[in-house]
Amino acid sequence: MSTRWGAWLEDRARLTTFWRWFADEPVPGGARLRYVFGSVLVYLFMQQVVLGILLATYYSPSASDAWASTAYLNDQIEAGWFLRGLHSYGSSAMVIVLVLHALQVIVSGAYRRPRELTWLTGLGMGAIVLAFAFTGYLLPWDQKGYWATQVATSIIGNIPLGESIQHFLQGGAEYGNLTLTRFFAIHVFVLPFGLGGLLVAHLALFRVHGVTPPIRPTDAELQRKSQPFVPYQLFIDVCAMVLTGAVLVFVTFSTHGAELFAPAQPSSNFVARPEWYFLSLFQLLHYLRGPLQLVGTVVIPGSIAIFLLALPWVDRARERGLRHRWPILVVVGGLFSGVIALTAVSMVADANDELYQKGLAEAQAQAEEARRLALAGISPMGGAAVFENDPRFHARQLFERNCQACHEISGVGGGAEGPSLAGYASRDWLAGMIRNPKADQYFGLSKHDEMDAYPTKSLSDADLRALVEYLMSHGVADGGPVDAELAARGKAVFEDDQNCSMCHEVEPGESGGGPNLHEYATRAWVTRVIEDPSQADLYGPSAQMPKYVDKLEKQEIELLAEFIVGQRTPAE
Amino acid sequence: MAADDAPESEEDQDVGAESDDASRRTFLNLGTGVLAAAAAATVVAPAAVYLTAPLRRGPAGEGGFIPTFDRTMFPSGEPVKVELVADQVDGWNAIHDVAIGAAWVVALEGELLALSTVCPHLGCAIDFDPGEGKFKCPCHASAFALDGTVEFGPSPRPLDRLDVRVEDRLVSIRYERFKTGIETKEPV
Repeated sequence: MSTRWGAWLEDRARLTTFWRWFADEPVPGGARLRYVFGSVLVYLFMQQVVLGILLATYYSPSASDAWASTAYLNDQIEAGWFLRGLHSYGSSAMVIVLVLHALQVIVSGAYRRPRELTWLTGLGMGAIVLAFAFTGYLLPWDQKGYWATQVATSIIGNIPLGESIQHFLQGGAEYGNLTLTRFFAIHVFVLPFGLGGLLVAHLALFRVHGVTPPIRPTDAELQRKSQPFVPYQLFIDVCAMVLTGAVLVFVTFSTHGAELFAPAQPSSNFVARPEWYFLSLFQLLHYLRGPLQLVGTVVIPGSIAIFLLALPWVDRARERGLRHRWPILVVVGGLFSGVIALTAVSMVADANDELYQKGLAEAQAQAEEARRLALAGISPMGGAAVFENDPRFHARQLFERNCQACHEISGVGGGAEGPSLAGYASRDWLAGMIRNPKADQYFGLSKHDEMDAYPTKSLSDADLRALVEYLMSHGVADGGPVDAELAARGKAVFEDDQNCSMCHEVEPGESGGGPNLHEYATRAWVTRVIEDPSQADLYGPSAQMPKYVDKLEKQEIELLAEFIVGQRTPAE
Repeated sequence: MAADDAPESEEDQDVGAESDDASRRTFLNLGTGVLAAAAAATVVAPAAVYLTAPLRRGPAGEGGFIPTFDRTMFPSGEPVKVELVADQVDGWNAIHDVAIGAAWVVALEGELLALSTVCPHLGCAIDFDPGEGKFKCPCHASAFALDGTVEFGPSPRPLDRLDVRVEDRLVSIRYERFKTGIETKEPV
């Protein structure tokens, strides 16, 4: 049956003939481990194509959707983080194996006549792999990709005639929807077809000239030890592919996939770094400033590119042996060491840079927050709108609209009338208020001027601490730890020594000259104040702050109260 | 190793070396296949789970009742088309107040009916022809009476009724989608 089908297919498609042509390719001198890099690159490229198509089934390239769809596929679709992680780390793997492949070709002199075109097509593919990395980095539209790519396109914009190239690439003077659609089109259509085409040419040229055999044995010896590609070399190749794949899976699992920072926000700042294999160029720009910048962005990378392109012609050695080609190897070794050294310097500098580490930690915390909020779905406004899912976002907005004109908070607003709510109802806030309620940051700018100041001579620091603790025990602590012994002493200060109870009641519902301090400064108390501060047991008819009970929804008032009480630092 | 002393032609090869080489080749071929399959599986298996994820999500709109208009807006025997507006989760987006569908609301003998505008035949949007007093599908010319029963055309079942609730004169409708092309009314 199978042979009949085989014969039928062979008659029509010549598949067996093709397979024999592929499989029986002679490997002079026998299969070798050092020939695996090309095959591993083909494997990685194929895997990247498959993974890229899978990602494209959920990804949407628009400024409002890119981050949201990436977060969705990464955090909500089963195995999404794994496939995205493989794709992201796969690009790093391609760069590493590409360098190993190039080094092996250079060391063995495989770029030499008659294989110049094989070498050039290989270099072309190398450039395309870097272009893949560059365009792919932006696609999630997160802070990292957005800012790192900004740096790169600005560099393009700084070279002569670069501005038009930059604007052409990013679809205008600014980043936006058109930047993403262009980068996406380049990443998923232009580059894969480009790489695929060059790969066909590269492999065809490879079959024309064959593998570059080891130098020492005689031709007769090489012929004698020759093995067919299948299964001898292919088996070694597949082992190397599986090893590469296993490393990728391991890295993906141990990091739980690739990073995804918070959605791109043009108004924010971010500690931008390019992908690790561009760090050497990045570091170079630390040294080359002003007019010298062009040396770092164009002259040096351009010279290296020209050197590599011209390598088959620069190399005039008569023999392929290492001894004859040492100048080439010294130059390549020097360049390679330079790249490694600059990369290392950049990494060490970042590791020791406190400001960078702090920025990174903040960015990671923000990323975690954004991704948690994204689970509830994001408004069609897009990526950064994810923060609107945070209840505190609404509270802050409510505060800005309703409260900020009178009350200062975290350094913004206020300056008039109402007390500052920064650190509201913390022990420090209470102590400061009792010491001098007429200070500007308390009630000094308001009409409430009945309460006396309690300077050190009338109220010792120890008594003040006890008094504050007593107030905390009445609810301010909102369930936080209270020193009961200190609070008991404070009760005496409150009732007897200072006679606070003359104006302030502490039993629920009773009213006095000043606000009742039962549950003082708790969420429930603040809610009541916002609703109507002129209630008899609060600030009474002389209350200066307007009622909000008719202006805001109950839910909004509670949200505000929560937000205001939350100004107390967690340690308090 | 067999390859080291591989003779020039097969005739010269002794039987032992030949079978040795053959078994080595078989082992390598098999190993290649197994390893390649393993490498492929690390992508194919998660890909299958990943691609089918939407199939494991519940129905999109297990929705509650959506408020529409005052009861007096629906005069007896005159169908009124009502857009049903609700919050919707669409992939990564959570969208507030979008039209998720529509219903024809008609009061018949004091009873309020809400009929889905989705034709039970193949899902076109049902229109109302005031001249004939019938609902009509613009695609395959199915015609329905005011109570939704089929009067003409290929529709396999009457127009789908949606749940209606009237509270304090406010008419609310629960929106649902049903499978098209079959005789029974089954939620999608």
